[in-house]
Amino acid sequence: MGPFTQTGQLTRLALRRDWWRLLLWGVSLVGLMMAVAAKFATIYGTPAEIAGITQALKTPAIVALFGPFRLGTHATTAQVFANEMLLFMALIQVVMSISLGIHATRHEEDTGITELLRAHAIGSLAPLQAAVIELTLINLSIGILDALGLSLAGLPGATWLGNWVIGLGLAASGWVFGMLALLSAQLADHATSATGLAYALFGLSYLVRMLTDVQAPRYTWLSPLGWVEKLAPYQQPRLLPLILFGGLGLLCLGSASVWAQCRDLGAGILTIRAGRATAARALRGPITLLWRQEYRVIMGWVLGITVLGAAYGAVFDTIGDILKTNPTMQQVFGTNALHAANHQLILTYSSTIALVLTAVASIPGLQLIFKLYHDDLSGWLDALYARPVSRQRLLLGYTGSAVTTSCLVFLGGWSGLVLVGNFSLTHAADGLTWSEFLTGVAGSVPVMALLLGLGALVVGAWPQGRLVVWGYLAYAFISQYLGNLLQLPHWAKSLGVFDWLPTVPDHAINWVTVSWELGLAISCGLIGLGSYVRRNLQSHGSQAFHLIFTI
Amino acid sequence: MTQPILQINHLQKRFGTFTALHDITFTVNAGEVFGFIGPNGAGKSTTIRTLLGVIRASGGSATIFGHDVWRDRVTIHQRLAYVPGDVTLWPNLTGGEIIDLLLRLNGVAHSARTDRLITRFALDPTKKARTYSKGNRQKVALIAAFSQPADFYIFDEPTAGLDPLNEKYFQEAVLALKQQGKAVLLSSHILSEVERMCDRIAIIRDDTIIETGTLADMRHLTRTQITITTQTPVDPAALPGIHEARVGHQVNEWQFAVEADQLPGVLAALARHQIVALTSTPPTLEDLFLHYYGKE
Repeated sequence: MGPFTQTGQLTRLALRRDWWRLLLWGVSLVGLMMAVAAKFATIYGTPAEIAGITQALKTPAIVALFGPFRLGTHATTAQVFANEMLLFMALIQVVMSISLGIHATRHEEDTGITELLRAHAIGSLAPLQAAVIELTLINLSIGILDALGLSLAGLPGATWLGNWVIGLGLAASGWVFGMLALLSAQLADHATSATGLAYALFGLSYLVRMLTDVQAPRYTWLSPLGWVEKLAPYQQPRLLPLILFGGLGLLCLGSASVWAQCRDLGAGILTIRAGRATAARALRGPITLLWRQEYRVIMGWVLGITVLGAAYGAVFDTIGDILKTNPTMQQVFGTNALHAANHQLILTYSSTIALVLTAVASIPGLQLIFKLYHDDLSGWLDALYARPVSRQRLLLGYTGSAVTTSCLVFLGGWSGLVLVGNFSLTHAADGLTWSEFLTGVAGSVPVMALLLGLGALVVGAWPQGRLVVWGYLAYAFISQYLGNLLQLPHWAKSLGVFDWLPTVPDHAINWVTVSWELGLAISCGLIGLGSYVRRNLQSHGSQAFHLIFTI
Repeated sequence: MTQPILQINHLQKRFGTFTALHDITFTVNAGEVFGFIGPNGAGKSTTIRTLLGVIRASGGSATIFGHDVWRDRVTIHQRLAYVPGDVTLWPNLTGGEIIDLLLRLNGVAHSARTDRLITRFALDPTKKARTYSKGNRQKVALIAAFSQPADFYIFDEPTAGLDPLNEKYFQEAVLALKQQGKAVLLSSHILSEVERMCDRIAIIRDDTIIETGTLADMRHLTRTQITITTQTPVDPAALPGIHEARVGHQVNEWQFAVEADQLPGVLAALARHQIVALTSTPPTLEDLFLHYYGKE
């Protein structure tokens, strides 16, 4: 009867509990990797095609987003692929590991399942160990499939060793953040704060990675996410990053195990203080209740994205300096034309960041809308149902809070970018103007409104479709973010909501498009409201779908 | 008060092809505590959810204060209080905050009465709901319900998880509501509680109400336990309406159960053998319960 007794049984249980999640993540990650690899083989198959893109990949804006361009003039397709895609794939795999890690440990503990299990003859570390095995299995499987898929894709210039360095490197980066999530799960006092802690550390390593990539690539070694870039799989495959990943992961796991053994079940280091004996004056309805519960999370998002925006802004001076990539500019054009060109560079870069910020800001909004469904099923709304609180008020309250949250988060990131960016410039006139700032806001709000309207529609009429909305957000974002790099056909991009308006602020706002987008968003919301008022609650809403048609 | 507070008529609920409620009919009047009992999964909670307008009936009708429970749910809920069987609270709010919030949702403020109830039920209102035991979560919901002025109270297994002392406070509070002329619907598994507190009872089984009435009415439907000693030997097993007859410990002592409507005839027949001692035990609610539930 050691601390690991029954780990095998618990692992089987965990795999059964999560098989659908694991399958979905695995298929999406490996599928995306292979689709992009296949696309690269066709569009960047020849040296001429590669030479055509190289200039763009060297711009600081692309470096900030995708990682530095470290290839010589004779780069192969495989090298370009690894250079541009590794970081992006690693980011998604990290998100997967954090969500799986917290779900398998702290979430189970919050629901009381761990307590039920611990009453049986299982080792004190067995639940944690089962989560470790689950995370190792999924990351390793994805890594192996990535490596096999890359061999299959046969990119020009790919090597057997390189394929496996990529596979194992991605597996290791996902795994290490999974171990970090397990440590957060031990330190925090419930699942939400554990997730917040893990993402804060993830965000920090992303910021260090980005700032050092643009300004001092030597120091990228400081960030675990930077190690992914140092793999250099098709030039000089390095194994040091893999060793570093292993070491850091084991360190996290070791600390997590120590904490898991000495702390009380259900408690964290952050101990619970006595709270208020009576409610604050402001807490008096479903909306204030939602904010009372969620304000820490919302503030965390706003703060996090403001820092991210500020970090993207901190490189304005490097990005908005056309002489760095084109030193002959000054002789050819005058100083005025130079500043105009610099301003244009910053504008294009900011538009791309605006897209990222819009997509990220939609996430907490959608989570808030979907919380209406989770709160309903988990019984938190039971107490409200017996009170004079109409369903209109509930749905509109959640949706309104979601829209406010998304707007706040976007504004945080966007002002962080513009303020810090403009401040960092040597020539302040190269920066974004007040009206360009507002154009950015005006272009982003309808996109978030559409996504949140879709969320309200789904929560009202077809709650099982939540995954479809997440999938659509991911598709819309990826098709736009990677669209130019992958030379996606126009129709594929135009399926995504980000494509309906030209990017802002580097283009003018089309108010007609904005109007119909907002109209569509409101209509979606109203249909959702109509179905929500009519459907049965506290059920999975299987018949709710039919109700839409019987309004 | 001629108009019943709650009126349910042939209520039905289907989820697709699955029937959750088959035929529910009963009424609850003002000044009455109405017991709602039945085995697990018989449809008690589904009935209550329908009454709260959380799910929509597929057939029949249900009204509270004369209003339709689905259409006018918000109007009804202004004068209704409810305590669910499995109380789920917002984990990062304290008990005190939750009580105040629940009261404000009904437009009521925290009162001296609320403070008395908190003291009475011995709840620490400064603790986060995450740390509460099942009984403490139950208390939060009960305190909020009792300090809210309502005309109709619904309790769904409210005392499961409470200690005997708090259970007693609960019963006193409900009886006080009754004296004020309020209507109470009490769903419970604790039969002694129902027996003590309820004026009328409905028994639900397999999604259908199979019996409604006072406990006295229902007793007529079942058997009375008799222990009898006679002077001369007798064999009661041969008499009509007698079940489970057993020889007792004493000479000429018998124990048996007799159907309520056969009791006069049986006693008359036994009296001819000179009764020495006789005890009769009326059926408890538990007997009734087992009688109905065990029936195939």
